[in-house]
Amino acid sequence: MFKKVLVANRGEIAVRILRACRELGMESVAVYSEADRNALHVRYADEAYLLGPAPSRESYLRADKIIDIARKCHADAIHPGYGFLAERESFAAACADAGIMFIGPKPSAIAAMGDKMVARETVLAAGVPVVPGTEGTGSMSDDELLAVAPKIGFPLLIKASAGGGGKGMREANSIEDMPSLLTSARREAEASFGDGNVYLEKLLEGARHIEIQILADQHGNVIHLGERDCSLQRRHQKLIEEAPSPFMDEALREKMGTVAVKAARAVEYLSAGTIEFLVDKDKNFYFLEMNTRLQVEHPVTEVATGIDIVAEQMRIARGRQLSYKQEDIRFRGHALECRINAEDPYNGFLPSTGRITHSLLPTGPGVRVDTGVYPGFEITPYYDPMIAKLIVWGETRGQAILRMRRALEEYRIVGVRTNIPFHQMMMDSHRFMGGQYDTRFVEERFALPLSQGERETYHPEIAAVFATLVAHDANQRSAEFVMPNERDTSNWKWMGRWERMHR
Amino acid sequence: MKYIATIGDKEFTVDVLDKRHVSIGDQIMDVDFENISGQPVYSLVIDGKSYEAYVYEGENELQVLLQGQQYPVKVEDEREKRLRAAAGGTVSETAEFHLRAPMPGLVVAVTVEADQQVAKGQVLIILESMKMQNELKSPRAGKVTRIRVKPGETVEQRQTLLTVT
Repeated sequence: MFKKVLVANRGEIAVRILRACRELGMESVAVYSEADRNALHVRYADEAYLLGPAPSRESYLRADKIIDIARKCHADAIHPGYGFLAERESFAAACADAGIMFIGPKPSAIAAMGDKMVARETVLAAGVPVVPGTEGTGSMSDDELLAVAPKIGFPLLIKASAGGGGKGMREANSIEDMPSLLTSARREAEASFGDGNVYLEKLLEGARHIEIQILADQHGNVIHLGERDCSLQRRHQKLIEEAPSPFMDEALREKMGTVAVKAARAVEYLSAGTIEFLVDKDKNFYFLEMNTRLQVEHPVTEVATGIDIVAEQMRIARGRQLSYKQEDIRFRGHALECRINAEDPYNGFLPSTGRITHSLLPTGPGVRVDTGVYPGFEITPYYDPMIAKLIVWGETRGQAILRMRRALEEYRIVGVRTNIPFHQMMMDSHRFMGGQYDTRFVEERFALPLSQGERETYHPEIAAVFATLVAHDANQRSAEFVMPNERDTSNWKWMGRWERMHR
Repeated sequence: MKYIATIGDKEFTVDVLDKRHVSIGDQIMDVDFENISGQPVYSLVIDGKSYEAYVYEGENELQVLLQGQQYPVKVEDEREKRLRAAAGGTVSETAEFHLRAPMPGLVVAVTVEADQQVAKGQVLIILESMKMQNELKSPRAGKVTRIRVKPGETVEQRQTLLTVT
C-alpha cells in the first residue's frame, strides 16, 4: 500500500494527478525541467526535484533519473500521466524492478497495444473488427507498401507504427502521391518517436472518432464508462470532445462497450485505458488503437458519469476492487470539452509562445478548468501547446453548448494567442449544434473567419472605435515625448537606419 | 481629431471629439474608454453598451479581438490616407519579403534553394516548435534571394530566415 506518489509529468495533467493525491491524503512529489521551475505542478506538490535541461529527452523522458529520484525521496508509486513515459513498456518494467508501483497497466499490455500492428492482430484474434490495412507484424519497405496500397484502396492513411497525436500521419489520395508522403511521414515519425516505421490503413469517409473508456482492476473486473466523441479534430489533433456522443444510441453503446471490454481482457488490461474506434455513417465500427494510459480528455467522462478516474486508478494500483459495477455506470446530462491551445487560429494555427501576462478563468455553475498555467508563466517552445482544458456540464447537449459559449466568453488569456476564437465559432456553428460533424469537419467545411452575417456578433464599427481610440492614445502619448527634430540626426536618416536594422 | 479606420473594404470615419465623445459617420456617441490594468485589454462603454476587446499590433494594422471575432483595422488620419492614395496601390507585391520565424524553434528543412522562383503559397521552410512541424509558406510569388538558416539550426522568434524578392 503506497503513501507517496511521484508524478512523472508536467502541465495540467501533473496538476490534475496531484489534486487526486491531495484528496486521497497521499504525499506527492513533482519533477521538473529547468524551464518549469515556476510551473504550477512544482508549486502544488509537497516535494519537487529538478530533472535537467528543458528539452524533454533531457528531462521528462529521463526514466533513469525519475526512478532515481523516486528511490531517494522514498516515493512508492509513480503516475506517468499521458505522453512522455506513459506508454513506454521499458519504464513500467523499470519501475517494477525498482520495487515502485507503476500506476497503469502491466508492461506486457503496454507492449501489446503500443505497437499498432501487434495491437491490430491481438484484437482481431479476440474477434474485434479492425479498419482494413497492412496487417502482419514488422516493418515494410516503401516498395512493399506501394505494392499493397492499391489492394487497400484510396484514399488511405500512412501512420507511424509507434505513433499517436497525428504525428507521422499522412493522407494519400493516389499512388503517385505515395513516395513523397512516405518520406515525410517517416521523417516525422523518426523525429517524434525515434522509429520511422509506418503502416497503411484505409481512410473511412464520413467517419466519427468514438472511444470507450475502460477501467480494470487486479481482480479481473473490467468495466466501461461509455463513450467519448472526439470527431472534432484538426490535422488529427483532437480539439473538442463530448459525452455522450450525439451519434450514439443505447444499443450501439452496449455493443461497442462489450467489444472494448473484450479487447482489454485480451491483453489482461489493468487500470484506466481507452479503446479508440472509427464509426462509419452506417454505424459499423472498427478498432483503431488502444491508449494504455489516462487520456487528455478523461474529464469529459468524469463530468458526465461523476466518476473520478484518477482516484480509481490509485485504488486499482492499491489492489482494491473497482468502486463500481457495470450496471452502476450511467451518463447524467452532457459534458463538453474544449482544448485551449497556444495557437493562433487566424494564422494557420501556428503555435504561439510568450509570457502570459493576464488570465481570467471562467467559473460559475457547471464549469471545470484543468490548467497548469497562470499569469506570469512563460509558454516555451519545448512542450505541447495545450495550456488548458475547459470542460462544462449541462442537463442536455443544448444547455452544455450554451454554457460553453458563456465560459469561452469569460475566459481571458493575454500574452499568447489562443484558439479560443476558434472554439467560439465552433459553438456558433449550426452543424456543430446539430451534432452533424465527422473527423473532416474542421478541415473541409470550416474557415476562419466566418463571413459576416453568419454570426450575430459582427460589430465592425465597434472594432473601428476600439482601434481608433488605441491609435489616438498612442499618438497623443508620442506627441508628448518626441518633439520634431529632437534626435541628434535627421529623422529621415534615423528612419533609414532603423529600417535596415530590422531587415 | 479625425481618423479613417479601414476593415476589409469598409471604411469608418471616426472623429475623436473630446475625452467623452466620438462620432462615427455623422452619429455622435458617448464613450467611456478604459485600459484594464496596463494590459492590452480595453473596456469601452459606448452609449451605455459595454464591450471588452483585446487590441494588439499586427504587421501594419491593429488587431482587435472582440467577442471572439478578430478584426484587422488600419487606422490613419486624413493626411496619411491621402499620402497612401497618392502613392497608389499596395507595396507588398514589389517590396522584399523577409520571412521571419513566427516563434522560436528548430529548422527541420529548407525546401527551396537560393535564386529559386517560388509561387504564392509554396512551402519555404519547415520549422519545428511545440513538437509540431509547421510549414512556413510564401505570401506571394517571387525569387528566393538570401537563405540565412540551415536545417538543424535553432532560431529565435522574429529572426529573419530568408528573403523573397
